[in-house]
Amino acid sequence: MAAVDGVGARALPYLREAELIKQGAEARVYRIRFLGKSAIVKERFPKRYRHHVLDEKLTRRRTTQEVRSILRCRKAGIAAPVVYFVDLSTNCIFLEEISDSVTVREHIAAAHAVESLRDLAEKIGKVLARMHDEDVIHGDLTTSNMLLKTERSGELTLLLIDFGLSFVSALPEDKGVDLYVLEKAFLSTHPNTETLFQKVLQSYTAASKRAPAVIKKLEEVRLRGRKRTMVG
Amino acid sequence: MHLTNSLELFPEFAVTQLLFKDVKNCSELRKMAMEGNITCALINPSMVLDPLQTLLAANKAVHVQKIGKMKTRSLYSEIIFSLSPTNNISEAFKRFGISENDDACLVVLVHNTDEAYNKDDVVSKVDGQQIPTDQLSRLSDLAKIKKLYKVTSQEEKCGSVLDAVICRMAAKDVV
Repeated sequence: MAAVDGVGARALPYLREAELIKQGAEARVYRIRFLGKSAIVKERFPKRYRHHVLDEKLTRRRTTQEVRSILRCRKAGIAAPVVYFVDLSTNCIFLEEISDSVTVREHIAAAHAVESLRDLAEKIGKVLARMHDEDVIHGDLTTSNMLLKTERSGELTLLLIDFGLSFVSALPEDKGVDLYVLEKAFLSTHPNTETLFQKVLQSYTAASKRAPAVIKKLEEVRLRGRKRTMVG
Repeated sequence: MHLTNSLELFPEFAVTQLLFKDVKNCSELRKMAMEGNITCALINPSMVLDPLQTLLAANKAVHVQKIGKMKTRSLYSEIIFSLSPTNNISEAFKRFGISENDDACLVVLVHNTDEAYNKDDVVSKVDGQQIPTDQLSRLSDLAKIKKLYKVTSQEEKCGSVLDAVICRMAAKDVV
């Protein structure tokens, strides 16, 4: 249903000619030239099935939250795309295009042996631990929302993208659910990678002092699912 | 010498930047700008790392003018304000505008794409030597920029100082 609503006319003149690279339930993503650079525009379009006041509020909040979390992560040294420009009147975010990159999902799918992915698992664990130490909860951790960029030095940098559902919280509960969401996504997209995900958690635990409480919560969440209350 | 960029979001406008060194009449220029006798933004180049920084500020200024959300009186003062990481207007002018004792000046003009900007008008008013805009980074004061935008060494691990500055300018309204 969401997709149907999203197909509406492209309201913004500068996006009319732009190359649409992804259409989701929440936003459309375009590739454009912006001030001489190749950039990505994430446009959160209005959803007509929601009351317009609620829709505006939610959309505005997700747009600002995305920018805030990117900035918070970058300040902590966690790689995320540079924000070039934010248009709050149309809820568009202009971001740096990460060239020479693949998603972690593609990288894992292309790997021949799980053993070759140990370094990657370690890197993911470390980055997530640092993010959680900054109290940033990503909200939508999947292997598609992590990019691997090959630097000129040949090194691989792990970047986090799509902070649309992110928020700030210090609660081990929220961090545990964040990891649980990743675990679900990880194991369903990449079959037979249980040991690899274990490696991610090991690295996470080694990298953060606050990890034991989070892992304990993760175990609780596994038993009950990500919703805490059983209401509704 | 100068640098002209079109604004993809506002195709009717273009931005031209001119850089001057050994400027002798900064206090006079500042006065002219304040009285509105010179239609351009006069920026202290020591606070700018790259022409992209001012270009983004100009893009944002045109944007807020279009949607009627300017926080300052003119498009040109809005460019200076957009450069600042804070919402304090007088602070922004103090840090990013030229001051009386400066000897260099970055001029930013917004003009119609199909009209040539009134270059001679500006050039004749600035008593200084024009140098290519790509020499801008030689005039920038990296330590001062890092301090004002609060760029930490941790952040430099995942990107350049310019990246950090750009992010702060863009995120100013949402944090």
